[in-house]
Amino acid sequence: MNTRLLMTLQVKVATPQNIGAVAHAARRTAPLSGGTFEGPRLRGTVLPGGSADWQLLRADGVLEMDLRATLRTSDGGLISMKSFGLRHGPPDVIGAIGRGELVDPATYYFRTTPRFETSHSAYLFLNRLITVATGDRRPEGPIYTIYEVL
Amino acid sequence: MTSRPLMRLKLETSATEVIGSTARGTLSIWPIVGGSFDGDRLHGDVLAGGGDWVTALADGTSELDLRVTLETHDGALIHMTLTGVRDDAHHYFRTLPRFETAAPQYAFLNRLLAVGVGEIGPDGPVHAIEEIL
Repeated sequence: MNTRLLMTLQVKVATPQNIGAVAHAARRTAPLSGGTFEGPRLRGTVLPGGSADWQLLRADGVLEMDLRATLRTSDGGLISMKSFGLRHGPPDVIGAIGRGELVDPATYYFRTTPRFETSHSAYLFLNRLITVATGDRRPEGPIYTIYEVL
Repeated sequence: MTSRPLMRLKLETSATEVIGSTARGTLSIWPIVGGSFDGDRLHGDVLAGGGDWVTALADGTSELDLRVTLETHDGALIHMTLTGVRDDAHHYFRTLPRFETAAPQYAFLNRLLAVGVGEIGPDGPVHAIEEIL
């Protein structure tokens, strides 16, 4: 698979809202309080309003992530981002992440598939891209390295 | 980004059902009547009854929304969904398949994300699907 770097996105996570046990899983919503993104073709900030990660911890231990964020580029364009992802790993590693410890991202699987929507003429190329990302869950929030699938 | 081949999926479709112009674009349904998939870790047939809901958008691209059931050679059923973009003007046809199964020998499919490269072959759509490592 050929890819190229689209951007690095660093988000800040506010206090999670634990919805709790739902059918076959546990649900948690992690609001995003802000963030930044930077790449060869675009950079800017994450708007805190409607941005959050809606998470479902499945019975098989896999965390399903449904992240939605609004990005504002340095020249004022608004981009809606939706990203489905999966995170799982050895119990001790996932436990360390839960305790807010710094963990080597190579020790667990954290991958997402962002899609973008914008009406800004400079960024229309995003509308037609499939992308994949690797995640690195830092104590203050995840860092996503997002690649365009060529 | 590293990946490894998961399967090559060939689909057999019947006549397209054109729903027509909707609020989002022009919706066509491609019924899937069969097919096959083949990879190092799994192979088998595509069951009839699935389909691909394809919406042609105003920017010239099409959004894919496919659902199909796969049956492995050893009798396991795998629910597969796929979203994707087809942009013929830029020769870009890329997809994001997902899998769900209850079969223990294929439980690894529940835990992975994948990317597909699609093409419309002479006998129907073909998707080369790779696991994202």
